Amino acid sequence: MKITFPYMGTPLVYKKLVEMLGHEPITPNKPTQRIIEQGVKNSPEFACFPMKVIMGSYIDALERGAEVILSSGGNGPCRAGFYGQMHEKILNSLGYNPKFIILDSIHRDFKGFIKNFKMITQNVSLCQLYSIFKFLHKMSSDLDQLEMQLQTKRAYEINRVECNKVWEKIQSIFDKTYIKKDLIKAKEKCQILIDDINIRKIPENEKIRIGIVGEIYAVMESSINMKMEELLGSFGCEVRRAHYLSHWIEDNVVPKIFSKSKDGEICKKGQKYIEVAIGGHAQQTIGHIVDYKEQGFDGIVHLMPFACLPELVSQSIIPKMSNEIGIPVLTIALDEQMGVANNTTRIEAFIDIIRNSKEKKYRAS
Amino acid sequence: MNKVFLGIDVGSVSINVVVIDDEYKVISKQYIRSNGQPLESTKQAIRNLRKEIDAKYNVYGVGTTGSGRQLIGMMIGADVIKNEITAHATATIHYVPEARTIFEIGGQDSKMIFLKDGLITDFAMNTVCAAGTGSFLDHQAERLGIPIQEFGAFAKRANKKVRIAGRCTVFAESDMISKQQFGFSKEDIIKGLCEALVRNYLNNLGRGKKIHAPYVFQGGVAANDGIRVAFEKELGQKVIVPEHFDVMGALGVAVLAKEYIEFTKEITKFRGYEAADVDFTPTSFECSGCSNLCEVIKIEINGEVIAMWGDKCGKWTNSVKAI
Repeated sequence: MKITFPYMGTPLVYKKLVEMLGHEPITPNKPTQRIIEQGVKNSPEFACFPMKVIMGSYIDALERGAEVILSSGGNGPCRAGFYGQMHEKILNSLGYNPKFIILDSIHRDFKGFIKNFKMITQNVSLCQLYSIFKFLHKMSSDLDQLEMQLQTKRAYEINRVECNKVWEKIQSIFDKTYIKKDLIKAKEKCQILIDDINIRKIPENEKIRIGIVGEIYAVMESSINMKMEELLGSFGCEVRRAHYLSHWIEDNVVPKIFSKSKDGEICKKGQKYIEVAIGGHAQQTIGHIVDYKEQGFDGIVHLMPFACLPELVSQSIIPKMSNEIGIPVLTIALDEQMGVANNTTRIEAFIDIIRNSKEKKYRAS
Repeated sequence: MNKVFLGIDVGSVSINVVVIDDEYKVISKQYIRSNGQPLESTKQAIRNLRKEIDAKYNVYGVGTTGSGRQLIGMMIGADVIKNEITAHATATIHYVPEARTIFEIGGQDSKMIFLKDGLITDFAMNTVCAAGTGSFLDHQAERLGIPIQEFGAFAKRANKKVRIAGRCTVFAESDMISKQQFGFSKEDIIKGLCEALVRNYLNNLGRGKKIHAPYVFQGGVAANDGIRVAFEKELGQKVIVPEHFDVMGALGVAVLAKEYIEFTKEITKFRGYEAADVDFTPTSFECSGCSNLCEVIKIEINGEVIAMWGDKCGKWTNSVKAI
């Protein structure tokens, strides 16, 4: 089967999964202006932005011959739970008839997950499946580990965009691995690439660390968040995201007894402000802010698709909690707009505030 | 010859140029409506400046701010290129040190900046709607056939209370039209409009945040006394409009340029008043490297490419050597 899937961060791991299960992946293109336009045109006006972008990606992939669409379901009572069905209806009305396979969290609906998963795993034995899964799990956590190093180094790189170039190289190196042995070698090779990046030496007290929290698609996909990580990097900030693919796998696929998932812990930290899971990643957003504060981060950038309901709730709570726990938070709503001047101003001013108050604290001590 | 520092604020509606001396005293200020031609207007402002101060003063530092800060900064050789939030707050901290909250309403955006102990602690900026900005007032003034300069005077003459929805420009406009048809006077409606704008501004930007007096009101819209009165009524407190309210951004970035030069002891990168005469040509083209079809902007000075931007991948941006 020719299988496609949404584009969210590097598509490498999804692509590998499809490939190793014996199917042909139609790797989606990184959302471009054309893809976004297509998506916006064919989606309900008031739908959230991620749904529109993914809509565009699907159309693009279907035009290139995809037959099956593989996607994850929503999380709790949030519109994202209807994405799959909505996409299917709209695509049907446009004359496309792809088969949809939507994987909800294994912990919520074990039978449904297995039933859906079986549709794409007919070609492999259980034993093979286990080793494929183990391999990809390792790959995604390796990739995330390497990416985190780049998120730190980007703040101090001497040659502009060098970290981006290394990240491209890392992806193409990992793309060629199929067995565990190669994976270990690839990781070593990539580590050397990262170690070779020239960086400025900055005194510890001048370093600024920013956590990006919010809705998962807005946080993970740089083409719709105005390249937030790179922008923060160019202002000299180390960055961490609240969402990484390997964490998502730990949270949603790995059986709970083996899982190193921090999701429960993060949600608990958010419970003081949002008592119950209200859908999307609202509770996680709040939990991550508390968590980043505890880790000694200097500030938070909160990304939300315009009119995203769960994140609207967290946005309303943030001013109060930001005061209570003492960490500055900047909320940015994302939609179709492409002009970056306005947001650059916000980010620049936000970093100024953090830098000045840090300097003042340092001088006082 | 005396030392002076230049601050230029390239906003959406106006170009503001301020000159301060070594004692932070304002020597010259200009507020020019750019009418969609920021480059030409800036050149004009610099020519005016040459006539006014060239013989008496030496420029030691230059700063630019506002949405056009990068382009103009490159054109005239700025030492400091700073966002307008930091610039506005810097000016207020210097000239109204007791201020705790700044209301800044400009042409296309409005901001609220929170200060404590001479530092910015937080800020908010309007996000999605133009209801709380100067361009909305401009539009309504035009519709009512009143010069925007007289808006404040009209509002003050009102004697009836008219409530106009402030949430959204579409709602506000339909409210205004129906109130006009009920026979309310222009004065009453303008006052209602000022109050609606203030309500919308405070609700939208102050959301969930505590605001503390003393309040300072600046930006082009502060010229409109009706808005100041509406603020005072809504807050029940005095609202300070500083002397140079209309050029605070430019003033702030001049202060920043002065502090930067004094701290680093560098010599200014200012290209001189001749910057107004150089052949400075921005052009744009559509890159066909991928399906993004980015609009790339290319800046040339006397035929030499000095900057490019607008591309998502950095292919063009990085092709220019930093100068």
